[in-house]
Amino acid sequence: MAKLVGVYASSHGPMIVRNWDTLAPDERGRLDAAFSELGARIKAAKPDVLIVISPDHWVNFFIDNLPAICVGVGEEHEGPPEPWFKAFPHRKMAGHPALGHHIVKTALERDFEPSVSYRLALDHGFCIPVWKAGLEPLPPIVPVILNDLEPPFPSVKRCYAWGGVLARAIKTFPGKLRVAILATGGLSHSIGEPTMGRIDEAFDRDCIRRFEQGDAPALFDFLDERLPAAGNGASEVRNWVAAHGAARGRGFELIRYDPIPNVYVGCGFASWTLT
Amino acid sequence: MRDYWLSKLFFDLQTPAVADEYRADRAQVLARYPLKPEVRAAVEADDVSALAQRVNPYLLRFYFLMAGMPEDEFLRRIRENADGNIAREAANERS
Repeated sequence: MAKLVGVYASSHGPMIVRNWDTLAPDERGRLDAAFSELGARIKAAKPDVLIVISPDHWVNFFIDNLPAICVGVGEEHEGPPEPWFKAFPHRKMAGHPALGHHIVKTALERDFEPSVSYRLALDHGFCIPVWKAGLEPLPPIVPVILNDLEPPFPSVKRCYAWGGVLARAIKTFPGKLRVAILATGGLSHSIGEPTMGRIDEAFDRDCIRRFEQGDAPALFDFLDERLPAAGNGASEVRNWVAAHGAARGRGFELIRYDPIPNVYVGCGFASWTLT
Repeated sequence: MRDYWLSKLFFDLQTPAVADEYRADRAQVLARYPLKPEVRAAVEADDVSALAQRVNPYLLRFYFLMAGMPEDEFLRRIRENADGNIAREAANERS
């Protein structure tokens, strides 16, 4: 039987890489501190496998075929294709087919029908957090793409339930494995919209408070009402909700929150204390 | 609502070789996509406002970066569009 040993969340954003050298020293310092603490917590949990929940930024999917959820079951994944992300040290990353397939099987038993991919390219959403958190050697990754990018989106409530599916799959996996979950994306940001660059700090802080309070229905209501006005990138909070569901809606702890206009993102980092 | 072929053009331009070709000869690449005349005209005119209504915002932002429009200029144009819409809505309400 496998064991869920940690649940984490981290913002991502291309500017963290593309604009790194032009960020103010204080901004770099705050991001470094957050990623460093995130990495320390993940490494302390000693995961054998990492499930990473992230959106697909128009790398694997297009509007001719746009799954709500896709599980990567391949033995290997491609590294990030973004031309500006050559510094990422892995062109290939190991997967964990057995766990990936078991997640899909568990999902089907629990009324979810995710799509399946034997070969995904993992873009900056996956790779910035694991890279900046210093996860070397990188454990095998089961990527889970959750569509936060192009409507229609899965409901917040459904994303929470999906997290429960992941927890169930880990619990019932017939093998001894230590598994951690890392959700990436969010908090508020706006890309390619008239509000681009705006960070909704009030939303972010309210959102963090809702996660801390551990009242899942209240969190759903809050996000249903406020997510649409927090910028299109805020939709990625759905990944945090899935992580919250995997942790059964309890134990959220904020590692750090910094609104950083030069990366366009309300940067949040969190972990869940599992009970 | 998305315009499929406009979205496909922007999506395909993420491939560096296609982007290089586009920057060298825009017409040659556009000829491969059955764009509606008004959409093609908007592309040729770098009309951020018109294109913003037809494509995912992430692809829109990528496209203008790829095409060489400075980010400040992109932001000015897309915000100008939003301000214009607000002004038009206000005028409609008054009339």
